[in-house]
Amino acid sequence: VDAKSLPRPLNGDEEPIKLLEMYPFNCHPRFMRLTTHAIPNSQSLLSRWHLPLGAVVHPLAEAPDGEEVPIVNFGPAGIIRCRRCRTYVNPYVTFTDAGRKWRCNLCSLLNDVPGEYYCALDATGRRCDLDQRPELSKGSVEFVASTEYMVRPPMPPLYFFLIDVSVSAVCSGLLEIVAKTIKSCLDDLPGFPRTQIGFITFDSTLHFHNLKSSLTQPQMLVVADLDDVFLPLPDDLLVNLSDSRHVVDAFLDSLPSMFQGTSNVESAFGPALKAAFMVMSQLGGKLLIFQSTLPSLGVGRLRLRGDDLRMYGTDKEHTLRLPEDPFYKQMAAEFTKNQIAVDIYAFSEKYSDIASLGSLAKYTGGQVYHHPSFQTAVHQEKLRYELARNLTRETAWEAVMRIRCGKGVRFTTYHGHFMLRSTDLLALPAVDCDKAFAMQLSLEETLMTTQTVYFQVALLYTSSSGERRIRVHTTAAPVVADLSEMYRQADTGAIVSLLGRLAIENSLSQKLEDARQSLQLKLVKSLKEYRNLYVVQHRLGGRLIFPESLKFLPLYVLSLFKSVALRGGYADSPLDERCAAGYNMMILPISRMLKLIYPGLFRIDENLLKDLKEGQEPLRQLPLSAQSLDPKGVYVLDDGFNFIIWLGRMLSSDLLNNIVGVELASFPDLSRVVVCEHDNEISKRLMRVLKELRAKDPSSYQSCRLWLCRLDSSSIQAITRLVKMVTT
Amino acid sequence: LDLETQDGVRMTWNMLPGTKQEALGCVIPVAAIYTPLKPIPDMPVLPYSPLRCRICRSILNPFSIVDYVAKIWVCPFCFQRNHFPQHYLSISEDNLPAELFPQYTTIEYASSIETGSKMPSVFLFVVDTCMIEEEIVFLKSALSQAIELLPENSLVGLITFGTYVQVHELGFGHMPKSYVFKGSKEYTKEQLLDQMCFFAGKPRPNVGVIAGPRDGLSSESVGRFLLPASECEFVLNSVLEELQRDPWPVPADQRASRCTSTALSIAASLLGLCVPGTGARIMAFVGGPSTEGIGSIVTKNLSEPIRSHKDLDKGAAPLYNKAVKFYEALSKQLVHQGHVLDLFACALDQVGVAELKVAVERTGGIVVLAESFGHSVFKDSLRRIFQSAEYDLGLAFNGVFEVNCSKDLKVQGIIGPCASLDKKGPLCAETIVGQGNTSAWKMCGLDKKTSLCLIFEIVKKDGPETNTQPTSNQFYFQFLTYYQHNDGQMRLRATTLSRRWVAGPGSTQDLVSGFDQEAAAAVMARLVSFKMETEADFDPIRWLDRSLIRLCSKFGDYQKDSPSSFSLSPRLSIFPQFMFHLRRSQFVQVFNNSPDETAYYRMILNRENVANAVVMIQPSLISYSFHSAPEPVLLDVTAIAADRLLLLDSYFTVVVFHGISIAQWRNAGYQNQPEHETFAHLLQAPCDEANAITKERFPVPRLVVCDQHGSQARFLLVKLNPSVTYNSDNPPPPGGDIIFTDDVSFQVFLDHLQRLAVQ
Ligand SMILES: [Zn+2]
Ligand SMILES: [Zn+2]
Repeated sequence: VDAKSLPRPLNGDEEPIKLLEMYPFNCHPRFMRLTTHAIPNSQSLLSRWHLPLGAVVHPLAEAPDGEEVPIVNFGPAGIIRCRRCRTYVNPYVTFTDAGRKWRCNLCSLLNDVPGEYYCALDATGRRCDLDQRPELSKGSVEFVASTEYMVRPPMPPLYFFLIDVSVSAVCSGLLEIVAKTIKSCLDDLPGFPRTQIGFITFDSTLHFHNLKSSLTQPQMLVVADLDDVFLPLPDDLLVNLSDSRHVVDAFLDSLPSMFQGTSNVESAFGPALKAAFMVMSQLGGKLLIFQSTLPSLGVGRLRLRGDDLRMYGTDKEHTLRLPEDPFYKQMAAEFTKNQIAVDIYAFSEKYSDIASLGSLAKYTGGQVYHHPSFQTAVHQEKLRYELARNLTRETAWEAVMRIRCGKGVRFTTYHGHFMLRSTDLLALPAVDCDKAFAMQLSLEETLMTTQTVYFQVALLYTSSSGERRIRVHTTAAPVVADLSEMYRQADTGAIVSLLGRLAIENSLSQKLEDARQSLQLKLVKSLKEYRNLYVVQHRLGGRLIFPESLKFLPLYVLSLFKSVALRGGYADSPLDERCAAGYNMMILPISRMLKLIYPGLFRIDENLLKDLKEGQEPLRQLPLSAQSLDPKGVYVLDDGFNFIIWLGRMLSSDLLNNIVGVELASFPDLSRVVVCEHDNEISKRLMRVLKELRAKDPSSYQSCRLWLCRLDSSSIQAITRLVKMVTT
Repeated sequence: LDLETQDGVRMTWNMLPGTKQEALGCVIPVAAIYTPLKPIPDMPVLPYSPLRCRICRSILNPFSIVDYVAKIWVCPFCFQRNHFPQHYLSISEDNLPAELFPQYTTIEYASSIETGSKMPSVFLFVVDTCMIEEEIVFLKSALSQAIELLPENSLVGLITFGTYVQVHELGFGHMPKSYVFKGSKEYTKEQLLDQMCFFAGKPRPNVGVIAGPRDGLSSESVGRFLLPASECEFVLNSVLEELQRDPWPVPADQRASRCTSTALSIAASLLGLCVPGTGARIMAFVGGPSTEGIGSIVTKNLSEPIRSHKDLDKGAAPLYNKAVKFYEALSKQLVHQGHVLDLFACALDQVGVAELKVAVERTGGIVVLAESFGHSVFKDSLRRIFQSAEYDLGLAFNGVFEVNCSKDLKVQGIIGPCASLDKKGPLCAETIVGQGNTSAWKMCGLDKKTSLCLIFEIVKKDGPETNTQPTSNQFYFQFLTYYQHNDGQMRLRATTLSRRWVAGPGSTQDLVSGFDQEAAAAVMARLVSFKMETEADFDPIRWLDRSLIRLCSKFGDYQKDSPSSFSLSPRLSIFPQFMFHLRRSQFVQVFNNSPDETAYYRMILNRENVANAVVMIQPSLISYSFHSAPEPVLLDVTAIAADRLLLLDSYFTVVVFHGISIAQWRNAGYQNQPEHETFAHLLQAPCDEANAITKERFPVPRLVVCDQHGSQARFLLVKLNPSVTYNSDNPPPPGGDIIFTDDVSFQVFLDHLQRLAVQ
């Protein structure tokens, strides 16, 4: 196969919006995408599909202005739902009996229309008030839930910080950035004036902070009994932010200096976690953990186990990527039960067992933010941005999500960060616009008789304003008897997203090699099947052919192999980075996943030299291959999380020096160069280009590294690391 | 009594019975009440080390026989001949060193060689927070006043407690910071060392005992918790200012969770880690009963009352023994470290003074008991501790007290604020009283009033005195007190005494002439209290009565079986009266008080000198009237008259009592009218006197001003001899009073005594 002939996804993810023309009542694909928008009508048909059948759901995806999900308040009448299957009323329900009954599109039950909701039907059998009823005309609506959807009063937004203050956290400057960032976000935390906040810092001991509003300054209470953790105060460890604002400000102001000069190298992480749980357990909320040192004291202490080369390729290889101590999963279960979501910010330059720590985020709907070997100068902007986004974005609290589907199909497995509460209820202590979930579908009957299958995602949550809401996305897909129709309606993005998650999960129970193998097998089988389908008609011989809808699939699958989480073996990614990447990929929405595995490559030297007007010539994405790189060019590689600026070896030193800001020769180690604005036009233009690229995706911030291609030999190395070549 | 001024010593017998048998017949033991740091005018402080006997280590003293020619001195205790060292060679009869001056039987040495560098004294405040807001406010203001008065160079620490114990890291600087410990747990020194991060980030020395800056703990880590007073005043005040009452909720039917014992244990360990061997005191401010931890005295359940004397008697106080055991262990730790425990117990309830007593007393701590932290008994007493004016206590630390005496004498023990150092030797008697079986005692804390009661035993057998020594009719005593003076320097005070002994027929008159009935009363009071606390089924009344009868039988003048012929020499004459009042005192009649009060009274009794003890036993009563100048009157109900004012000083309480007419005149405001100036003076006189008493007494007594027939009058009546009661034949004189009691009057008591003594 000629690598050049492979089609390249130079426009990134393409949402299947054309479907909306055929199914205008479906929710927008930004909220939900099926791996193929054609559901096989039989098991035998499904067995020939080979690719996963399922969906990727992004329930709180950000919508552009004007396309916000409408809010519906039924008031005291209550939300209209199917008596039997509890489906929410949606555009696909049908009204009969002169508008007095409605038929559920999922289970076909005929339900009474309550008096308050009654409306006459027009000649075509449609309700006359359709235009005024978003729930009957839009695929996505948000219902305001009444008290029957509450087991307790809606919780206030709650942010609790668990901050490692051992010597490495202090010396790296991390503590200062964290403190300043939190402080800068206080005005923008959602939910004023109900928002609650609290802090625990820890090293070999636990430091609680009394933030009582009547105090003039915070008080630190140290508990060092790690075997028997207790709260030193009954209240005031968690306070109302607006009442205690002056105390919180004072605390954050002194936090950076408080531990200056510490020599404490220990981390009582497990006990600190228990303490945080005790403080939060009444209300729930978001727990943000800043961790710099491998947990060394008390329960949940972890050992160095990441550097064992001998494990690779053996049956035990995958255990490196699994939590070692059941403590973390048990804690995660407790957290979820008490509506606590955990985000881990990990910074250690040494091994810190992300596999174990990350499980806290995994089962609580949280996220792992990994900044290995944190250096203030290089990483502070990224940390600031991502922490601020985490704190200030709209968050859905104490949430549960369920996906219902019509008869004949059933969701069997779910993939992402959540805790499965019953067979199909996903507990999400907190969820936001940056989290997506994937799930696989199976057929329950050997032969489907219905024409259409309906899916309904319902996310019940508490908004930051303290309202209980249910966000409902409904979508319909045809049932088909033809494999080629399935191929035609295939959604590469959804497939790659689901395949990626499956491969990551496989890597937790198999060798990396095996995980990749099974991925490859699926691809090969599916392509074979497709070829078999067409080979007779088109007489194409031995050539590999792709259905149009899946033309990028081979490239994406190969890119998955090269992703940090799945590539190579021992030496190809540090274990912590591999695990962190795995956790990261489990929550990414489709477009960001695709961008991560197949980054954008842009040539920008012209933009640096010429004074282009803004938005004049949008950057053109280039194929990720060595041929794309001109030694006279400057390129930016953007995977959504990091930029790499590739500097060709034949660039003028003037240009280089302007970019770096100083004489390049004095900088032997480019990895330490901080890309920032210098007082010259080129640098300013570069920053403008980067800013534009960053603006495309507000969910994360790309930190920036320089790559200078000086010598031919090293350039080859550079290219292999930089560019994902397609090899078969 | 001049001997007391010169040496701070009073002995029951100043002419000693010469043999064991004789001594037993004397009934009242040979005992001395010694005030080691009593200020003695003109006492020299020698800037060099004392000379010691080669054999018995006693110190050169005026009773040593000196051979000026041979430059040799003979030790009066063991008769060893010692050569003077080189620097004494210029000695002659006309050129004596101070320690040989006959009048300097008490002298101090402040040698720099022996003492090393000056150590700052350490004050660790341990403050209860389970109190109503009002009490906390009182306590805070008292503490901030105290902090202002602290000596600049002293070190200060703070622990607060309630449900939990908080050790405040005053040296932190950024914000108030404290280490929190569970009240229900016990923490070892090792655990504290670990948990309070004394070795954070540094390799911990893995050998040897870690104790104090000299032994491994860096001065920086000590400085986190103990700061010079001059540096931490601001921090301490800001912590106190925001000090909240214990935040844990208390159900209405429960007592607050108060872990006094855990707090004190942590305080002791903290001092043990930071400043072992340095003068330091834990000052505990307790506002209620301990309910949490091993030393709790009562459960949290309010329906269960705090133990009474009856409960203790019946063995129905299940927590008592456990708590006492804990505080015994704590006292051992503190004594070992050389640290003092002071207790300020201010509550309407009992707080556990009875249980804490052992730790306070063995370490020589101060104790103050009051109803509230707002009461002047507490406030003024606390101020007095730090006041460096005329009436200051002269706090000293880290004392070691040693005794040396002639070989026919042995020491049974000491009743008083000290702890045995277990230095056994030939000096120790087999019978033990108080802290015995040792010849050295630790006095972690002592002040210029601290008075020890030493009980001696004469062991010389009766029989032909063939091989007696040349100076054999003298017994010698030497009391040595090493201590950290409040200026930080180590000192040694030496008091050497000599007493003649008599034996055989005809010695009775000699013995009587040397009898000190006040000292004897004080010793008997300490002894009876001690026996009541330590001997099961001890009957104090019977014991006191029998002792008095035997004493009177031996030393009284009478014809056998003729009570009317009975008389006592003036040296003994008021002793029966002392015993009468002692029988009625709070030391013996404990059932009128709580165990806490009893413990308190006894602790004070055991640390006071003879004069003060006598006031506690038999209060003084002064009468003020138009008819005569202020005059002492008998402690008798007949002292009460309508036109009299009385001033009763019972040591713990000072009562100004207005006769009914006086009260009426006062209420009419005569004292404000110029023509009744004399009345104003009369009214003022007992108050002035009461103030004078208050000023020099510690703890500050409770002042009660009351009127005849008023409810507060009970403070006076309870102390008076009930010579006129409701069932007396002769009614009181007009304006007089009667006492509603069945107690016998002194006259009845004396009649019985005379009848029994002559049998
Ligand atoms: Zn239904
Ligand atoms: Zn001698």
